[in-house]
Amino acid sequence: MISRLRSLLKNLFRKQQLDTDLDEELSAYLDLVSVEKMKSGLSPEEARRAARREMGGAEQIRQGVRDIRAGVSLERLSQDIRYGLRTLRKNPAFSLVAVATLALGIGANTAMFSLLDQIVLRLLPVQQPERLMKVTIRGNNYGNTYGADRISWPMFEDLRDRNQVFTDMFCRFPITVTVGYQDRAQQVMGELISGSYFPLLGVGAALGRTIAPDDDKVPDSQPVVVLSYSFWRNYFNADRSIVGRTIELNGHSMTVIGVAQRGFDGVELGNPAQMFIPIMMKTEMTPHSDGLKDRRRRLAWVGAYGRLKPGITAEQAQSSLQPLLHSILQMEVQQPDFRSFTNDDRLRFLRNRIEVVPGSDNGLRDTMQRPLWILIALTAAVLLLACASLANLLLARATVREREMAVRLAIGAARGRIVRQLMVETLLLSGAGVLLGLALAFLADHLLVLTFLPANQATEFAVSPVPDIRVLAFTLGMLLVTSLAFGLMPALRGSRTAIAPSLQERSGSGSAASVPLRRLFVVAQVALSLLLLVGAGLFVRTLRNLRNLGPGFPTRHLIEFTLDPSLNGYSNDQTESFYERLNTNLQTMPGVSAVGLSSMPILKGYAWQNAIIGQESGAPQREQPVLSQIGPGYFSTLGIPILEGREFTDQDRGPQMVAVINQSFAKRYLPPGDPMGRRFGLVDDQKPDLRPNIQVIGVIPDTKYRDLRETPPPQAYFSYLQGTNFRFMTVYLRTQGDPRDLENALRERMRRFDPRVPLVDLQTVDEEIGWSLTTERLIASLSTVFGALAMLLAVIGLYGVMAYTVTRRTREMGIRIALGATRSRIIGMVMREASFMVLVGLATGAGLALALTSLIRNQLFGLNPHDPWTLFGAAFSLAVAAGLAGFIPALRASSVDPTNALRRE
Amino acid sequence: MAGPQSDLLQGTLDLLILKALALEQLHGMGISRRIAQMTNAAFDVKAGSLFPALHRMEQAGWLTSSWGQAETNRRAKFYALTKAGRKQLQTETARWERISLAMGAALGIRQEAL
Repeated sequence: MISRLRSLLKNLFRKQQLDTDLDEELSAYLDLVSVEKMKSGLSPEEARRAARREMGGAEQIRQGVRDIRAGVSLERLSQDIRYGLRTLRKNPAFSLVAVATLALGIGANTAMFSLLDQIVLRLLPVQQPERLMKVTIRGNNYGNTYGADRISWPMFEDLRDRNQVFTDMFCRFPITVTVGYQDRAQQVMGELISGSYFPLLGVGAALGRTIAPDDDKVPDSQPVVVLSYSFWRNYFNADRSIVGRTIELNGHSMTVIGVAQRGFDGVELGNPAQMFIPIMMKTEMTPHSDGLKDRRRRLAWVGAYGRLKPGITAEQAQSSLQPLLHSILQMEVQQPDFRSFTNDDRLRFLRNRIEVVPGSDNGLRDTMQRPLWILIALTAAVLLLACASLANLLLARATVREREMAVRLAIGAARGRIVRQLMVETLLLSGAGVLLGLALAFLADHLLVLTFLPANQATEFAVSPVPDIRVLAFTLGMLLVTSLAFGLMPALRGSRTAIAPSLQERSGSGSAASVPLRRLFVVAQVALSLLLLVGAGLFVRTLRNLRNLGPGFPTRHLIEFTLDPSLNGYSNDQTESFYERLNTNLQTMPGVSAVGLSSMPILKGYAWQNAIIGQESGAPQREQPVLSQIGPGYFSTLGIPILEGREFTDQDRGPQMVAVINQSFAKRYLPPGDPMGRRFGLVDDQKPDLRPNIQVIGVIPDTKYRDLRETPPPQAYFSYLQGTNFRFMTVYLRTQGDPRDLENALRERMRRFDPRVPLVDLQTVDEEIGWSLTTERLIASLSTVFGALAMLLAVIGLYGVMAYTVTRRTREMGIRIALGATRSRIIGMVMREASFMVLVGLATGAGLALALTSLIRNQLFGLNPHDPWTLFGAAFSLAVAAGLAGFIPALRASSVDPTNALRRE
Repeated sequence: MAGPQSDLLQGTLDLLILKALALEQLHGMGISRRIAQMTNAAFDVKAGSLFPALHRMEQAGWLTSSWGQAETNRRAKFYALTKAGRKQLQTETARWERISLAMGAALGIRQEAL
């Protein structure tokens, strides 16, 4: 094998040798002609001259020969291609299986790589994205926060003005905005940004101008907005005259000053920003909270980014920022708001660390990274398997074609030529496979983006199914690797055919030399497909476990949507009355049996958490329960039973604060005994005198809140009618029939109710649960497809090898039968051979599975990665399928007619 | 294969070279002289067409070449027919027979004149 490779390489360098050979050949010609002339009586000089005259220009001859050589190799290539196409056409079954195998392997890989590349690997489309860093603070935040990666506005100003490591910093705050333009209302994602945002990212304007540092000076003074390119195209039909016009954002008139450059959707993949607004407009855009003018440094809301100065690494930046953070924190603990905290809390707060992470990191990347790597690993296994299948097919064909090769060698074909011919055939096959694979990948990604990304994002999601240059390079790389690795070996084997034995062999079925190798491939295929099947089994059972779990209440007849009238500039009183009228209105809607409002949607991963104090102890408890404000009838709408006491009614709006709690809350925060009538209080930094002023009036069982995986947290519910701040609400409706039938009627009813307030995230709760299991569904369904594919390939491989051995041994079977072997004996003999391969493959695969499945422990739920039933089930189904694949050839062997077999000679 | 579309002159030269090598292996000048001898000096193959033709035919697998000693003890490249070359010679000869008969008939040359 090595020596063959070496001689192939040598051929590539033969050109030089050919040229010196030609020179010598020509000079020999010249010498011989001169000798001839001398014999006829010329002097040596005259003879030489005459010879030169006769020969003509040596350089012209050389060029002539070179042209011929080049032309011949081209001619030969096209011959090889035509011949290859002809052979492939002659064996349509072989060609089809080979191309399909490769297309599936390559398509799966390309599809997954394309997603991985876009979601995990690619950096933001900004200038020098690798120098862009996100600055976060890890540790304890004693105040309210919008997320672990947010800091307060004054903290951002301090970091920006006092750091030594960034050329500049910007901050951002994602918001939802209701856009009104020519009597259309729609809710979109926007981004409040500091003036340094666009200059620092190096993102320009496609139209008009972007927001500049000058827009960043005075609060409330800059009613301007920059649109994202895709939003400008989709919503305003790429109307160039939009610049300078006024649109309504959350009830405020704002002037469009420009459109951002194409392809830029903000700095968070999966949450594309559709418009950019100066952060100075915070008060107008988020009337419910005013972090910009809040100097108390307790509300962490902005995400901070910086561009590293040249020569400074992220680690250096982090260690240089830590002392700065420490001095800021020391100033913060001196502030009056820290009065209520213990010394312990202060020390813990001072230990907060600053972290500098790549600016291209984002939430989608965090959640999708592991699943995508797992899927890439699965598809790599599929590709390996596809290659093994292909090699097996090519080997089988090389054996069948041994006679053809022997004939071609016998009539004088060069071995190198045969290798090339076979390589051309392999390249044709894999080329077709790659083209088909790319098409498959495009379709698959299109489907995956539609199916597995939330509906409202699917249309404008930044992940595209169209493969880019990197993906194409990846696919071409795979093409080369697969064809070289798995085409070259059979090709070299084919060219090594010994002429005489192949021609002598009478049955014409070729030598047995390749059978051990093919058995090895089958073993590898069985092992790999067992691994994939076990993976698929684990993921499917995880998904089923999660589905069966349920949230703890019946969801079949529930539909939900979210609204936020406060974004339309409705005052608190207007919003409150809006919700009350809405509640009454929907209760009379045909098909609706109950209506419940909640300030926090369930199963979306959101939660409002706050520290509470119990009746007994006055000290704030560090662990925080999950809280929500709900309307009357919420629990009966969701189907959550009241274990004790009652749920809220319209009457719960007096000064006496009341709460419904779940059992965990009672256990965790209240003294043993009947929780009814007990009191607790919410910790509030602004009110130093903490009193347990909330009375428990009802108890519900534990139900899931944020997602299906969690253990139900302690929960407490308040009546929203007792709240003071009315913002968005999620409305749950219990329907009499299929909730999906109500969707259109609901949209229409809401439009008539108030056309200015857009309906957001209208979906059934079952759909909602489906979305919350997106990652699990993605992995489970894809791994099942890959597992089935793998099993199919392995079974085809086994069938191929067994069918081939049986054909080769037809004569032997004939003799055995003639000598009195029974059919069952023959079947047993063939099946033993097949079972041996399958068993070795299963054992190897089981070993692999036991070693590798612990890597996916975190992705599983409710079962062990070494779950014996999954392993057994996968092995059993694979064994059954393989048994069938072996049984057909065995049956054929047992029905050999001895007379025919012996006569076949 | 050169195929029927190859022009007449090239086909002729190829056939002459094949024929020249039918008996024994020859070096380039030897082939040229043998052709002259065979055709009563009607064809004088120049080096400028001979060598490209030889290399083309070698690549087509009709000829093989090897280095050997020429008459003057000089090292020279000798060409010999391969099996494929011999087969080519047969088919080409047969083709030429047909062509020359047809051409003769068309041009009114009597059979005997050939």
